[in-house]
Amino acid sequence: MKRILALLLATGLVLSGCGKSDTSSTASTPAAAPTTAAPSAGARKLVIGLLPKAKGNGYFVSCAKGAQEAADALGDTLIFDGPTNDDAGKQNEIVDNWINSGVDVIAVSAENKDGLSTALRQAEAKGIKVISFDADVQPDARTFFVNQATPQGIGYKLMDEAARLCGNSGEFAIITATLTADNQNEWKKYIDEDLAKNYPNMKLVDFRPCDDDTAKAQAVATTLMSAHPDLKLIMAISSKAVPGAAEAVKQAGKIGQVHVIGLGLPSENKDYVHAGVTDSVILWKTEELGALTVQVADALAKGTLKPGDKSFTVGDKTYTIDGDNVLLGEPFVFNKDNIDQFNF
Amino acid sequence: MKRHFREWSVAGALGVMLIALAIFAPRFYEGQPMLSRLTDTAPTLVIACGMALVIISRQIDISVGSQFAICGACGGMLLAHGWPAAAVIPVSIALGALFGAFNGALIAGLGLPSIVVTLATMVTWREALRWRTQGELINIGPAQWFGLSQKVGQWTIIGTALVILAAIAWAMKRLAAGRFVYAVGADAEAARLAGIRPRLVTFLTFVFLGALTGLAAMMFSVQSLQVDPNAGNGLELRVIAAVVVGGVSISGGRGNLWGVLAGLLLLACISPALTYLGVEAYWEKAIQGAIILLAVVADGLRNRKAQR
Amino acid sequence: MSASTHQSGGAKAVFRSHEFILFVVLVAEWIFFYFAGTSKNYSGATVGFGTLDAQFDIMRHSCEIGLLALVMTPVILTGGIDLSVGSVLGFSAIVFGKLWRDGHLPIDIAMLGALATGALAGGLNASLITWLRLPPLIVTLGTYSLFRGLAEAVAHDGDTFTNFPASFINLGNERWLGVPEQLPILAVVAIAVWLLVHRTTFGRSFRAIGFAPEGARYAGLPVERRLALAYVLAGTVAALAGIIYTARLGQAKADDGTGYELFAITAVVLGGTSIFGGTGSVHGTLLGVAAVAVLTDGLSLAHWPREAGGVLTGLLLILTLTASVLPKMLSNRRSHRQTGPSTPQPSPPSP
Repeated sequence: MKRILALLLATGLVLSGCGKSDTSSTASTPAAAPTTAAPSAGARKLVIGLLPKAKGNGYFVSCAKGAQEAADALGDTLIFDGPTNDDAGKQNEIVDNWINSGVDVIAVSAENKDGLSTALRQAEAKGIKVISFDADVQPDARTFFVNQATPQGIGYKLMDEAARLCGNSGEFAIITATLTADNQNEWKKYIDEDLAKNYPNMKLVDFRPCDDDTAKAQAVATTLMSAHPDLKLIMAISSKAVPGAAEAVKQAGKIGQVHVIGLGLPSENKDYVHAGVTDSVILWKTEELGALTVQVADALAKGTLKPGDKSFTVGDKTYTIDGDNVLLGEPFVFNKDNIDQFNF
Repeated sequence: MKRHFREWSVAGALGVMLIALAIFAPRFYEGQPMLSRLTDTAPTLVIACGMALVIISRQIDISVGSQFAICGACGGMLLAHGWPAAAVIPVSIALGALFGAFNGALIAGLGLPSIVVTLATMVTWREALRWRTQGELINIGPAQWFGLSQKVGQWTIIGTALVILAAIAWAMKRLAAGRFVYAVGADAEAARLAGIRPRLVTFLTFVFLGALTGLAAMMFSVQSLQVDPNAGNGLELRVIAAVVVGGVSISGGRGNLWGVLAGLLLLACISPALTYLGVEAYWEKAIQGAIILLAVVADGLRNRKAQR
Repeated sequence: MSASTHQSGGAKAVFRSHEFILFVVLVAEWIFFYFAGTSKNYSGATVGFGTLDAQFDIMRHSCEIGLLALVMTPVILTGGIDLSVGSVLGFSAIVFGKLWRDGHLPIDIAMLGALATGALAGGLNASLITWLRLPPLIVTLGTYSLFRGLAEAVAHDGDTFTNFPASFINLGNERWLGVPEQLPILAVVAIAVWLLVHRTTFGRSFRAIGFAPEGARYAGLPVERRLALAYVLAGTVAALAGIIYTARLGQAKADDGTGYELFAITAVVLGGTSIFGGTGSVHGTLLGVAAVAVLTDGLSLAHWPREAGGVLTGLLLILTLTASVLPKMLSNRRSHRQTGPSTPQPSPPSP
């Protein structure tokens, strides 16, 4: 009885193996002529996979919107998918599935910089083009990194804006996403650097995570203000944390006393900016980031963009390429004077 | 005192924690942050009351986080469309009750194990909500605090939670329905022979928990200008931990809500306490786990003594 | 639930058994995704679900969950549960990384260290459950937090471990004799657990303890030792899963394995093992793992969004549970009409 089951199971597995197999070569064979991405992919519809750190995050939804518009304009198919929960390892699995379903380009924003690189190298070995955006992977695992701003640019901009609001002196605290997020940790490195170099009268007194939860960010901010009564500013370097920190300041009645800045979407922070709680929100044009990612992906697959190029032109815009980073531009500061102009 | 040893020991642990904070981090007691903190904890307390009933009746519900998120999101959307609070709150409660009824029907009606049923509903509902909302925040703006001022809103929420706690605690002691829950948890067969209908009681505890979750979701959603559909992540474990630390036995049949209050406050103190004491954030989970284990070990030692 | 490996019926019992129905569901899923998820790309080559690579990847992706589910089966058979396996996975992965990178131990020794960590973790669960007679649900709820917290503490400041030697990474990503390297390991564990549960007296005692712990004790079974075995085994295999996960991703992080315990429980229950203990099978668990893996990756290969996988898995679980209970309910109804008041639902043991 059990044997029948086992036999059937084995038969099923064997049958699945007999299914037409595309390539059964392993990655250890030297990169033979890529079978799935012909160099002259000019005429056909490309399939581009866009992999965010996680779905259900307004920031990535906004990138995807721009990406979809660009894909439509180019006549390409865009797949937007990502992990829906805390399990960042799912990014690897999605990459594996995309490799097997024959996408042409994969564009990722990595939660696990090194972990995701493992899967991406497999993709490259199979001839699929790989680029990264928003959060980079290991350089050998991708051809280009569409960088909204260098981590140094982001870290310095945050620190400079914080210093400006505090009059170059005082205590501040940082709320981050999770303790293990690679790009937040990299930004913090540059914040620390800028702080040490240029602002001797300012002091970073605390650094706490909010686990990507706005309510937790609110609770953490409340406690921070209370534990550090001389706190002048809260810097929320995760988009989920900014509204939470702002609400905490509002409830504590410390509007104007404790400044709030951070990285976040204009749409998620409009109310607090207008209420005077959040002073500035720093970001970049997320839709443009998504669109540029797709444009770079398309050009790379079609061969019009090659490693070593110094600039990339699409339509009437030209972007600088620094090494292998395609730069979107400078981080943008949204405040009450301009935030209404944007709807993302 | 002996009968409620567990509850008193949790209260004692809470007391020790509070005294330690008073000595080493007196800023913990600053007024406004404390008020905000309590307001933040109030919705969890409401859900914990309902969860205590479910656990006392020897079941469990790990889907409350997803119920919470959906009720909050739906309520938020209605508020954003201008519906008055008086209309939105009942809708949220009813929606929660509906979720509870679904769980209850499968568990009490079909006799399916509660942990698996609620695991399935937890995953289904949460992913369905994510699929629909894609994490977009819902702006409720002027509906914050139900349109009341912040102070009034905060005290209202805290007061509501305490009233609910007291009412349910009283009902569990004085109302027959409350005693039935204990009876079913202690020995469902004996309860049935005594004329109680265990399946109906079980079904109703899930409906009640759902309704309370719906209410808690609204109490939570109005605390800021926006509603986050990702709220409630990990809520079920926080609630269950609070209930268990508070002395409610997972084997059913015993426990009371005052212990749950103490357990909830104890666990809720950990995160701010670490900040006030200047301890690194990454100790938080380890300490939480240790407290849960200590509480459980205390239970076990008592059981062992009783068996001798 | 009519799942049982001691059926006295013949072929008819097989076809009604839970495992067989699940097998049919699995085959149906597979056929569906074969047609929905396979296509030809522009150069005429087949891509998608119907390729060997995709099938192997489905197995690679489900290896860790498969290990957890396999070893969760004996635990659940005893009427217990282990919510901490995901946290043990993460904790062992971090210990592994720490021993290798900062302890400068060779990879093999670091692996042994990780396995030992898992065994100790399982031992902690076991001692609290057997010595203090505490409900497994609550003990493992506490250790779920504790081990995750310890992982975060060891890897403090968001430290992760990476740059492992290529030979180690191959364990998660390369082929050995044509199949993904982690598959033989999964197969060995699967066979070992199957033998343990279905062919040894240990396995029999697990079921006996699940049916009636006191009865088992009176019958002279060393209940505490058997339970300890189940939980220590769970911890050790969870550590093994942690090692494989680290090899597959090439990185060890403190949050590895978050939520995996629930996937494992889903697979076990889908496979027909009763959460109350006493009945169930290891091959059922394997079918359960396969069913969920094919569903999740099949949807992904057909370019459906990730949320669809979650919703459908939840629905599959509900349907399976309901279906498993209906035959008994219907026959109860029939006998009710003949004999009188319906038999009450038995008082369920602790969840």
